[in-house]
This record gives sequence, structure tokens and C-alpha cells, in this order.
Amino acid sequence: MRASLAVLALLAAAACTPVAPYQRGYLARPDMAMEPAQAGTAKALEKTYSAKEAAFGGASVGGGGCGCN
Amino acid sequence: MDTMHSRAIALALLLAGAGGAAPARALGPGGALPAIAAPRLADASSRLALGELRGSVVYVDFWASWCVPCRQSMPQLDAFYRKYRERGFRVVGVNKDVAKADAEHFLARVPVSFPLVADPGDAVARAFDVQAMPSGYLVDRKGVVRYVHRGYTAETADELRREIESLLGDGR
Repeated sequence: MRASLAVLALLAAAACTPVAPYQRGYLARPDMAMEPAQAGTAKALEKTYSAKEAAFGGASVGGGGCGCN
Repeated sequence: MDTMHSRAIALALLLAGAGGAAPARALGPGGALPAIAAPRLADASSRLALGELRGSVVYVDFWASWCVPCRQSMPQLDAFYRKYRERGFRVVGVNKDVAKADAEHFLARVPVSFPLVADPGDAVARAFDVQAMPSGYLVDRKGVVRYVHRGYTAETADELRREIESLLGDGR
């Protein structure tokens, strides 16, 4: 049982692929940034994420998970 | 842990490893300049074959607009190219941008006079097994790689100048 779980976990890890140094142009795209560079985009994404996850206030704002703020 | 478990885990590790890129042998000093052709950046219908440059001292440079040290290396390489061209020195810039527009934007700010090629399928980068950006391969007149520069700093320019001059002197 434990072995099959390990097999499954490692198979999932096989989906990871190394990015060659010369392929980093893909990672340099603005939409690949952890924090989007355009002003306001991060805030909009956070608002959408919070609303979808019903977790308002989870990031920085105080409040509950009622989705009403 | 019993044998079966170890076997299963070994197999899984093997499969996980298979997801990675096949290891290629990095091209280093003493290696031959790969006989490969690539489309020119400005006009993809025309191709530049590295083999045609045999007889010249060649510097093959891998660059991209997102590569920060390339902002230093490209003008410096252009200066070397202009200075030593008449003595048989050639530079080929292999662009590694995903979008050609990015390369053009970079070149508008950092114009260079040496030939540039594109490498859309990574064939050229794989042939050299590029390990860092920028990477430069200084090749002698016989087509043998003599020096490899990974990354670019102020010292690289000094080393490169000495190496180019020594290789240009070799064949005389």
C-alpha cells in the first residue's frame, strides 16, 4: 500500500520538467510572475481568488468568510 | 523495507527521472563546432551555417532580451567584431527569445552589426548544450572550441580580448 502511494507520488513528480537556461524566456513572461507587474492586477486577482474561495480576509483584510465585504 | 517495495520505489524513481531532459554532453574546450544551420533573425528564409565560418575565429554567443548581462555583453561583442573583423574574427548571436518582437525591441536599444540567428526549436542550444545565459563559445580557425564563457562580467571582456588576439595570431 505504502509502496503504491510512493509510486503514485513519484509518477506525479515525473510531470515536473527542468527548464533549460536558454528556455527561461518562458518564465520571464509577465504573466509568469508570482506578483503580476501591472498595477492593480494583483489586487484584482486577490479579490477574485478570495471571492471564489469564499475566504475574504484570508490575505490581508480583516473579516470573516461571508463574502459580504 | 522488503525487496518488492524497494523495487517498486526504484522503478518509480526511474520513471520520475524519465520526465527530465535527456542529459547531453556540454560542449567544452577541445570539442568541435557543431555543424548546424539556423535561420537568420531578420529573414528566416535565409539560413546561416556555422560550418561556413571555418577558417575564421568565431564567437558563438547565446543571448536573449530577458538576459540581463546580455545588455553588457552585446555592445562589447559588437565592439570586438568591428575591431577584429578584418583580421578574420566573426560573431554569431543566437537569439533565445520566445517572441521575435522581444528580440527586436532589445536590438532597437542595443543595436549590433554582427549576424544574428533565431533558434525556435532549440536545436542550436541543444547542440551546444548551453548551461547558462549568456554563453559564448570561442572557436579557432580549425573549428575547434577553445574557450567557453558562461555568464558575462567586466572580467569576461578582458579575457575575451586576450583570447581573440591569441587565436587571431595563431593562424598567421
